[in-house]
Amino acid sequence: MVKMEPREAEVTIGSHQQSNIRLSEAYGEGSQAYSLADFRRKLRMSVVKCTDEDLEFDIIGVDPAIANAIRRILIAEVPTMAADRITLINNTSFIHDKDLTNRIGLVPIRVDSRLFENRNPEQPASSQDTVVFELHIRCTKNLQAAQDSTLPKDIYSNSSVYSGHLTWVPLEGQEMLFAKNPPKPIHDDILIAKLRPGQEIDMKIEYLKGIGKTHAKFSPVATASYRLLPVIEILEDVCGEAARRLKNSFSKGVVEIEKRNGVDVAKIVNPRMDTCSRNVLMHDDLAEKVRLGRKLDHFIFSVESVGMLPSDILVKESIKVMLGKCKSFLDQIERVRGKRKNANGHH
Amino acid sequence: MNAPPTFECFLLFDGEKKITIEKDTKVPNASIFTINKEDHTLGNMIRAQLLKDPLVTFAGYKNPHPLEHKILLRVQTTPDSTPVEALKSAINDLMSELSLFEERFQEAYKEKCENMD
Repeated sequence: MVKMEPREAEVTIGSHQQSNIRLSEAYGEGSQAYSLADFRRKLRMSVVKCTDEDLEFDIIGVDPAIANAIRRILIAEVPTMAADRITLINNTSFIHDKDLTNRIGLVPIRVDSRLFENRNPEQPASSQDTVVFELHIRCTKNLQAAQDSTLPKDIYSNSSVYSGHLTWVPLEGQEMLFAKNPPKPIHDDILIAKLRPGQEIDMKIEYLKGIGKTHAKFSPVATASYRLLPVIEILEDVCGEAARRLKNSFSKGVVEIEKRNGVDVAKIVNPRMDTCSRNVLMHDDLAEKVRLGRKLDHFIFSVESVGMLPSDILVKESIKVMLGKCKSFLDQIERVRGKRKNANGHH
Repeated sequence: MNAPPTFECFLLFDGEKKITIEKDTKVPNASIFTINKEDHTLGNMIRAQLLKDPLVTFAGYKNPHPLEHKILLRVQTTPDSTPVEALKSAINDLMSELSLFEERFQEAYKEKCENMD
């Protein structure tokens, strides 16, 4: 009976169906009065993994609506700087202008978008809203090349154009602002084009602030996703050969085999690692001995930044964006109501 | 090249209002809020929050057309409240939740960083 309680906030996974989904109970809709204190008590968070780019954290006790809003905002509404306006001065390479500019657009640069403002399309570039890069490169024959070499990279110089060739052109005042951390491409080795002797690319690129909703180049994350924590329970001891089969039906690291009184017994070690493949249900004898499920209010969130901003900053920014949305919404309602009241007062 | 300009998804047209409130005349205590330039991100979050309010008898939202950047939010309440009041308290709760969320995230992140050092 002790195990009954957590099950209420779980979904049971069967071979052909999911059952026991009592969403309204799990997310507290309807029955009882909502209280913020309740939320405060239930909400728990822990960061599981954080490197420069990857961030994995657990959110326990929130609605899927909130988790999903954060995910959606991370992908589409956290502003970043991306190549937006390109002046092509010369392009005699094989690659067409439109493809070349598209490729340039997808090269991310390391510059903090929070220091910039949105640019009014009618205004000229200013140091508050634009970062300018230049790409001027010309391929020539390499006269020092060894006689017998045939590789383009040996016999020509600048035969490949990489993102590292982009050079920053500071606008007024930007040199000071970015003295410590000058804008540059996040990766120097993204191949943009290939050239042959005599060919040249010369362009000026303006990086503007924007959001992923308008174009994917502005999206600050490579992926932002969440999944529910898997729950695996062994209802009855699984021993010997069956234990090995059980271990193999789950992802690596989920089930381990331990010796108990000289017998191999399967033991759940880390359900978190499971992909919920349900392979175990293919074995009729094992299917009866395990219960598979997912915890409905435990989200495992993973954010992988492109590199413009660290992942943790992105999450904080996404919450800020969301708070901003709520706040402006509230203001707007007040305004609409205020107008109505005024209108009524005149009658 | 007849693609609509990309800024249409977040910039209000001239004279366009962010929110309009329309009373639903068929049932008492119901309103339809038209929110321009918003999508499922906000719509779903507010709907979920409204449903937690015992004074709210109905809350639902829709995006009438994927190329139209707006959502319709319909709220019906018991006579003890009004749709606008319910919506306001829902958003206020949501904002407190988000602030708490941010706080807890920061704590969790700090803790992790300290453990790594």
